[in-house]
Amino acid sequence: MPESDLRPQGSLTIRLQVNGEEREGAAEGRTTLADFLRDQLGLTGTHLGCEHGVCGACTVLLDSLPTRSCLVLAASADGSHVETVEGLAGNGQLSRLQRAMWDSHSFQCGFCTPGFLIQAAALLAENPSPTEAEVRHALSGNLCRCTGYESIVRGVMAAAAGPEPAGVEPT
Amino acid sequence: MKARVPAERYTGASVRRVEDERLLTGRGSFVADAQLPGMLHAAFCRSPLPHARILAVNTEAARLAPGVVAVFDGAQMAQMASPVADAGDSPRSGGPVSFGILAVDKARLVGDPVALVVAQSRALAEDACELIQVEYEELAPVVTVEQALDPSLPAIFEELGGNRLFGPETRVFGDVEGAFARADRVVRASIRQHRHQNVPMEGRAILANFDAASGQLLVRAATQGVNTTRQMLAEQLRMPLDRVRVVAEDVGGSFGLKFGASREEVACCAASRELGCPVRWIEDRWENLTVSGQAREESFEVEAAVTAAGRILALKVEMVIDSGAYPGFAPGVVDIVREMIPGPYRLEALSFTGSGVVTNKASYVAYRGPWAAETFVRERMIDLVAQELGISAPEVRLRNLAVRDELPLRMVTGPSLAGITSRESLLRAVEIVDLTGFREEQLRLREEGRYLGIGFATYIEPAPGPRRDGGEESTEQVRVELDQDGSLLVHTAQMPHGQGHRTTLAQVAADEFGARLEQVQVMVGDTQRTPTGFGTGGSRFAAMAGGAALHGARRLRGKVLEAAAQILDLAPTELDISGGELVGPGVPGGRLPLAELVGRIDLAARSGRLPPGTDADLTATADFDGGQSGWSGGTHGCVVEVDAATGLVRILRYLVVEDCGDMINPAVVDGQIRGGVAQGVGAVLLERSAYDPEGQYLSATLMDYLLPTALDVPNIEIEHLSPVRLDPDVNFRGVGEGGMIAAPPTICNAIADALSPFGPRVLEQHLPPTRILELIGALPD
Repeated sequence: MPESDLRPQGSLTIRLQVNGEEREGAAEGRTTLADFLRDQLGLTGTHLGCEHGVCGACTVLLDSLPTRSCLVLAASADGSHVETVEGLAGNGQLSRLQRAMWDSHSFQCGFCTPGFLIQAAALLAENPSPTEAEVRHALSGNLCRCTGYESIVRGVMAAAAGPEPAGVEPT
Repeated sequence: MKARVPAERYTGASVRRVEDERLLTGRGSFVADAQLPGMLHAAFCRSPLPHARILAVNTEAARLAPGVVAVFDGAQMAQMASPVADAGDSPRSGGPVSFGILAVDKARLVGDPVALVVAQSRALAEDACELIQVEYEELAPVVTVEQALDPSLPAIFEELGGNRLFGPETRVFGDVEGAFARADRVVRASIRQHRHQNVPMEGRAILANFDAASGQLLVRAATQGVNTTRQMLAEQLRMPLDRVRVVAEDVGGSFGLKFGASREEVACCAASRELGCPVRWIEDRWENLTVSGQAREESFEVEAAVTAAGRILALKVEMVIDSGAYPGFAPGVVDIVREMIPGPYRLEALSFTGSGVVTNKASYVAYRGPWAAETFVRERMIDLVAQELGISAPEVRLRNLAVRDELPLRMVTGPSLAGITSRESLLRAVEIVDLTGFREEQLRLREEGRYLGIGFATYIEPAPGPRRDGGEESTEQVRVELDQDGSLLVHTAQMPHGQGHRTTLAQVAADEFGARLEQVQVMVGDTQRTPTGFGTGGSRFAAMAGGAALHGARRLRGKVLEAAAQILDLAPTELDISGGELVGPGVPGGRLPLAELVGRIDLAARSGRLPPGTDADLTATADFDGGQSGWSGGTHGCVVEVDAATGLVRILRYLVVEDCGDMINPAVVDGQIRGGVAQGVGAVLLERSAYDPEGQYLSATLMDYLLPTALDVPNIEIEHLSPVRLDPDVNFRGVGEGGMIAAPPTICNAIADALSPFGPRVLEQHLPPTRILELIGALPD
């Protein structure tokens, strides 16, 4: 075992409001927002699929805008408001979007899921009743290797339209 | 024990997945999410050259870098873990080769791991990798099959004496020469598949934790099967099997990539053992695209003996597979392609010659339907035959497809075709798309300079394939256990990585046992309790694990009813398990919760109140080989429009008519089909693992290796046919690979049809816009 502290402490203190809570942690200058959320704040729901801004798995809302957290430095996000997948379900209740995605069998392996949920939530906040073409366009920057997208698109459409889905009991 | 048929069944319903609530709320548990006290991070120093002798590795500066705990070069790693031995060995190989867990004397591809750095963070480990100085002597790269067969180029493995890995070996089935003598003509084509790859959204990953006190290695793995991973780790690390425990939780896709243990994963385990610390490695996307593995690069010389009436009597096929740098999976692929190439067709004879080479490219790995070349080559060839004879392609298929009640219902290579519904699927697909109407529309639009095309492909998918005559049977084991709290625990060696097995296996077991779905827990991914079985792959789940769960649940139900009858002094026939409770007229109060029943059986057994011979161990194990249900299959149809100015292909319609037996969960089945088709769309229109002539890898980011997006994959119409039920109980069949097997030939056939006014013969699978323009003649070939 090495004697030194196992996790190097960054020299910067980063403060964020994450999912409505004030959070604080240490980061190096080069620490990305994604690594900060995952490693320092323990919010591992945000996934890293490529770390070069293409796959969209790490998408979070940064001051309400969908943002690739792998391309943002934690230092430059200091003082921002961040929403992650962990914040979507309020009071232990799945959001309408989450319920619709569940009902639609939207996802398979679940790795791309957080990015799609955040991207879709941002779309629905801006455009509550999008067309299928608008949904596909809005999600076209997020990669899923399992589903072929149709089930995801259908889930977003179901969340946008139709009656309020029935309540979901936790399994 | 008679099978029960409850009024309402979970099996066959698109019940929501039990996996999803966690995944939708960010509470998944992937390897990268796991933290352990004292955990260290691994990074690999990798070769920038495709082919080079390693003269010296200087790790001194790296060892002194901040946060670095250890650096291991290839020679040190060779002391810590056995080389991969006998790779590519087969009766016809040029000889087995062996190679180090890290490259020792030689780097054989760009990205070959040369040294492992273990540090306090991944960033610090990567920093230190930059400080490792490796002295290379460059060797001429061997990039193509032609170069591999060129004796003037250096051997990648000296012990092979060249770069031919195996073959050529010819096997002949039926009277090939007779069939060619009877033929009215011979249609010839050189057909190839290009190199592309799995690209799961989660790359490879491992967290190795060696406990010096107990001498046990505990591994968190991203794997398709914990037993296989344990077996390989134990061998490479020279540890007894019982000292290695492999656990897996969520796995972010795989498509064939994450089987066993990769060299990097072995290296991390060896480092953890050496250092006595947990070591985690999370593959980055560059590594995943460059070195995790690639697939499909195969070329074929095909001759078809055909009659004027469109019967294909026989094929002569020569296949060459490019195995990449480190041999492993490729020889087996050639065997399956040879056996499968007749597909559901009445081919009378086949001559098949297979061979393989090594090149300085990423190693060949399994990718969804690894043998898919058989369908691609056959279905493309059928369209070429149709074109040459002036008969419609679906008509040529119909004239050659096996007919279920005509003998021999068997491929010329041996396997039975019992139960196939290929003809029905083709006829239905042609009907749905209204082929006649489409042809009229196609001609009309051509007048306007719009080029539409239609394509079909018919396939069968061994899921798991028919029972073999004589040969070694492969079985899947499931152990079903009634827990003290009344839960039904279903233990399986299947390792879901997106397929929803925790839901679908529970559906089958709940129905058979009489439990409620929420009482069933499917237990996966822990070698301490996982039954035997290599894991998830080969579309084995539905028939084999589904069947084993059904029989296991049935057996346990019998035991429970037997014991309950003893306690209650009733006949087992007076009792039933339904809705998750013991019910029957003689049961006090009419019903007894299972938890209470388990408690009473346990108490009775321990106080000796059960008659001798009563089995109070509420566990049952069943092995199942898939039964009589061998094949999934169907026909895909696709309509495309090709823009002759830009070369862009738009998929206007995509249709799947298929038969995977009785569906356990139709939404899961459709998800597997759509996901497979999407990968086929990517393979044809976008994806290519490209190397430059010097062997440098060109597709190492997701901006270079293009995956299909929501704008590229169309909605997919799916129709399920009624299956032929051959097994008394289990008529589920796997469905994981068919989408990816059938989509590439379907789309290529549609594009070839669209391009027919320009007259090219389409002989390849990768058709990006530039290639389309070359085929049209707008760009020089």
